[in-house]
Amino acid sequence: MIKFILVQNRQGKTRLSKWYTPYDDDEKVRLRGEVHRLIAPRDQKYQSNFVEFRSDKIVYRRYAGLFFCCCVDSNDNELAYLEAIHLFVEVLDAFFQNVCELDLVFSFYKVYAILDEIFLAGEIEETSKQVVLDRLDYLEKLE
Amino acid sequence: MATNMRGLTQYISDIRACRVRELEEKRINREMAHIRQKFKEGQLDGYQKKKYLAKVVFTYILGYKVDVGHMEAVNLISSTKYSEKQIGYLALTLLMHENSDLVRLVINSVRKDLEDNNEINNCLALHAIATLGGKEMAEALGEGVYRALISATSTTFVKKKAALTLLRLYRKHPTVLPAKDWAERIVSMMDDHDPGVSLTATSLVTAMCQDEMEAFEGCYEKAVKKLDRIVFDGDYPAEYVYYKVPNPWLQVKLLRLLQYYPPPESQRVVEMIGSVLQGILDISQETPRNVQHNNAQNAVLFEAINLAIHVDPDSVVVHNAGVLLGRFILAKETNVRYLGLDAMAHLAACSTSLEPVKKHQDTIILSLKDRDISVRRRALDLLYSMCDLTNSKVIVGELVRYLQVADYNLREEMVLKIAILTERFATEYEWYVDTILQLISAAGDHVGAEVWYRVVQLVTNNEDLQPYAASAVFQHLQAAQVHETMIKVGGYVLGEFGHLIANEQGCSPIEQFQALHSKVNLCTAPTRALLLTTYIKWVNLFPEIKDHLINIFERYTHVLDAELQQRACEYLALARRPDTDDLLASICDEMPVFPERESTLVHRLHAKGSKSQDKRTWVIGGRDENQERQGQRFKAFRQGTQDSNGSSGEAAAPVVSRAQPAGPSAAAAAPAPVERREPERKETLVDDMMGPAANGRSESDIMSSLADLDLGATTAAQEEPLLSGNGGGMVQSPMEERGPDGEFTPLTATLGGVDPVLVAPLTVAPNIEKWFERLTYANEGVLYEDKQVQIGLKSEYHGHQGRLAVFIGNKLSHPFTAFRCSIDNPAGEALGLTFHDAPVSEIQPQSQVQELIHVECKDVFTDPPVLRVTYLAGSFTTLVLRLPVVVSRFVEGVTLEQAPFFERWKIIGGAPREAQLVFPIKLTPTGDLDLARNIKVVGGNRLSLLSGIDPNPNNLVMAGVLHSSTAGKVGILGRLEPNKDAKLCRMTIRSTNEKVSAEVLRLASKPLNADLAAS
Repeated sequence: MIKFILVQNRQGKTRLSKWYTPYDDDEKVRLRGEVHRLIAPRDQKYQSNFVEFRSDKIVYRRYAGLFFCCCVDSNDNELAYLEAIHLFVEVLDAFFQNVCELDLVFSFYKVYAILDEIFLAGEIEETSKQVVLDRLDYLEKLE
Repeated sequence: MATNMRGLTQYISDIRACRVRELEEKRINREMAHIRQKFKEGQLDGYQKKKYLAKVVFTYILGYKVDVGHMEAVNLISSTKYSEKQIGYLALTLLMHENSDLVRLVINSVRKDLEDNNEINNCLALHAIATLGGKEMAEALGEGVYRALISATSTTFVKKKAALTLLRLYRKHPTVLPAKDWAERIVSMMDDHDPGVSLTATSLVTAMCQDEMEAFEGCYEKAVKKLDRIVFDGDYPAEYVYYKVPNPWLQVKLLRLLQYYPPPESQRVVEMIGSVLQGILDISQETPRNVQHNNAQNAVLFEAINLAIHVDPDSVVVHNAGVLLGRFILAKETNVRYLGLDAMAHLAACSTSLEPVKKHQDTIILSLKDRDISVRRRALDLLYSMCDLTNSKVIVGELVRYLQVADYNLREEMVLKIAILTERFATEYEWYVDTILQLISAAGDHVGAEVWYRVVQLVTNNEDLQPYAASAVFQHLQAAQVHETMIKVGGYVLGEFGHLIANEQGCSPIEQFQALHSKVNLCTAPTRALLLTTYIKWVNLFPEIKDHLINIFERYTHVLDAELQQRACEYLALARRPDTDDLLASICDEMPVFPERESTLVHRLHAKGSKSQDKRTWVIGGRDENQERQGQRFKAFRQGTQDSNGSSGEAAAPVVSRAQPAGPSAAAAAPAPVERREPERKETLVDDMMGPAANGRSESDIMSSLADLDLGATTAAQEEPLLSGNGGGMVQSPMEERGPDGEFTPLTATLGGVDPVLVAPLTVAPNIEKWFERLTYANEGVLYEDKQVQIGLKSEYHGHQGRLAVFIGNKLSHPFTAFRCSIDNPAGEALGLTFHDAPVSEIQPQSQVQELIHVECKDVFTDPPVLRVTYLAGSFTTLVLRLPVVVSRFVEGVTLEQAPFFERWKIIGGAPREAQLVFPIKLTPTGDLDLARNIKVVGGNRLSLLSGIDPNPNNLVMAGVLHSSTAGKVGILGRLEPNKDAKLCRMTIRSTNEKVSAEVLRLASKPLNADLAAS
């Protein structure tokens, strides 16, 4: 299962953080820092999208200046989560029409709502982009 | 969704415009003060509350501590507007976690939303429970979430979210939820037509089945069938195709789920899985150019390979996969190399032969120098898993060489692994000692205490090793830079065994002393303490350097460290005692041999991965470790199966070696050994039958006198279809249908020893008892019938074997879905049971399916098996019915003349081997004895009626032999004496086994007993 999802920019500013295991605030700060220091210096071309982290592993992918990271169990299927990240990014892109970092900043509450449609309780919830987008459209129209 | 809030946008822009952190903090503090003020004043409308709360949340996300807004969040979730509720819930889930006190306040509001008619509110509530989900929530809302999951009125969104919410609650608090009771219902959701619901239900099942394997067993076939439909039938909606790969996440989940069960016993299922896996392998032969397509395809492929290894590491599929992996570890993409090495490590960890992996040894060693540390780690794991006697020197050598340049955070693990491998595969002591000492000198900081403890243990326990170890460690101590761990090893080994090399050139006592003592200045207190002990041992062994040693003790009597000072004082006193005193010698005697214990190193290594949510399906390491783990994992599962396999006494012997069928190799090993075991088992059976003395009973003489009873009976093995005419194709001979074990094994066994009747109460309906009773003496009839379904039964018995065909008919005009049929066997090992589950999950309207069951009587039993039928037709229905498989069904009649009958009757004698009952009977309407019915019942209990023995024509005399494969044959004699005037009947059964007497009496008398009979 996913322990947490982090979206950070290259400076290490966290744009989205979702925790599926309870950590206290200090621990969250520590984790954000550690993950950033682990991921940011990794080479995009010659290094894999997976790296061990404590007793788990992080599956991550970089989109422009943003790192999307999933911390998953050490025996989880890496590629399935890597593509789940991509699915999430595709949904964001379609929803915000060409998503950029600022969308995540200004519409943070929508991003959380989108996240809840794709991941829940540390598991993948819905895998059809169309189904998610239709649902988001419907929610968007509600008062 | 929340429309844009201008104030919020402005606030965010302001903060972004701040150049330095102080300005940012200032702006935030101003805003927070403002909001606090507003909240205090109260009288805010929904929009304002929402806006302010959003600002608070944003501030929190930036990483600032916030102390306002908690109560407003609690208020806002009760709003009627979605946009306000959403912000309220967002603040709730972000600002609180499962242990916050405030969570208690919201439980009621959340419950209200969960039970609301508006599905949007249900979803919001579920999000909150799934994110917070503490124990109190689990207790208060678990039931409600489950209801939302199974309710027919729930939308697919609610179902999906409810399934995952339940998963979260279950993972955190497994004891709060009655997973076992919900099992059937949850498993049936895997068949939901919506792929999202199916996916989430599969996730839930995967988590729950790890603890409740028996209860969730039905998921196995479902998963296999689902995969089969996706891979071969293209059964998936178009919007679930991800870059040309059909629903990769569902495929991965299903493939993973199957790894939590031991390899299936049914050959049909094994074949089905095999073809699915090969199908997946075939699809991925060519590499797509699109990254997403490639990744999705490989996600499925690698999971399939893992499953293939799990099911049977020696299968053709695994062989093909091995070839593919060989290509993968050379691939250009780093991800693929990483995954290739990982899968190969799994193969090496489970496979019986390491040859396919060893072919790539050079590539793997080269991967230790990959640019990515993740790949280097996988290579290390793989080298560790694939190491055996033949390549251990090369691999350990490479690892030690690589250790010098390895990343710091990799070294400790490497040291551990090298130490384990060296110990495991050492053929020469010298090599072991050299390697470990090299390890210590190369990466001393990363050598845990366990490693050097282990060296000391092994050196102490192996006398041959001691001189070599002493001189080797002495050599290492000569180096200019010596690691402290080396000094510890040196101190211990030289103190204990230094005298063994004292006569060699350059190893004199004084030189040993100098070698150690020159390093002492750099050591920590515990090491110095250890060295003091070395010195006192030397006082005993090397009197020539005693003065030097006493000198040192004297100096240490003044150090500040209490431990050191105490030791020094005590040792000094000891050393100064007169030479004639043998106290010193007895204190410093050689250390006794350590008790043989398991290396703690392996344990330490595995402690790493133990924290993951789902249990690991395999661990890095050799085959033995994995087999042991799997044995543990599947210990409880199919216990009943094992029990019914292993029968008491001699027959059990050849079965014992199969006690761990769960190991990944069990299936692999099965085909060969079966042929060996089969005849063995038969022999023991024959022995049992032929040599009654083997049973060790005192009445063996009676047994032998009755043994000839079966002369007229047919012998056990009947090859021709017994139920000819009933779908002949499905009827197969018992020999062909044996499981991979070569044994009759029930598909579902007792639920972990608990009487299944207690777990699921028997279905109650007016005629059930009548139908059941009639079938105990008839070969076909109705077992159950209601408005929806009719269940009929046909049976045939020969000797100790029998077969039943259960016909389940759908009387409705719409199909039964999520259909499943299983059998519980409370009789355990006394009754062998094989269940040929027809591959159906649906019954079409107005049609029927047939399920075949083979039974084998192994010993006397009293509890009939229980059939469980579940299906979805409008509502979810579960039928739990007893099957009329009773001990008298395995009786075969025999004919006896009057003289031999009475001779045997007398030999058996009275109680306890005689059972007798006097019971009331009903007369026919004309007031006569119902002789025809008596004959039918007795005959139906498969006893032969003997004529010419009792002069009274109303009295019946009967005889038969009970066949059982383990307990042998039991002769049965009986008499039935009805009395018309008294309306009473006396039934007497005598047999060589008191349990049989009682049981046959009970069965045969019940239909005739006017008080008890149901018909």
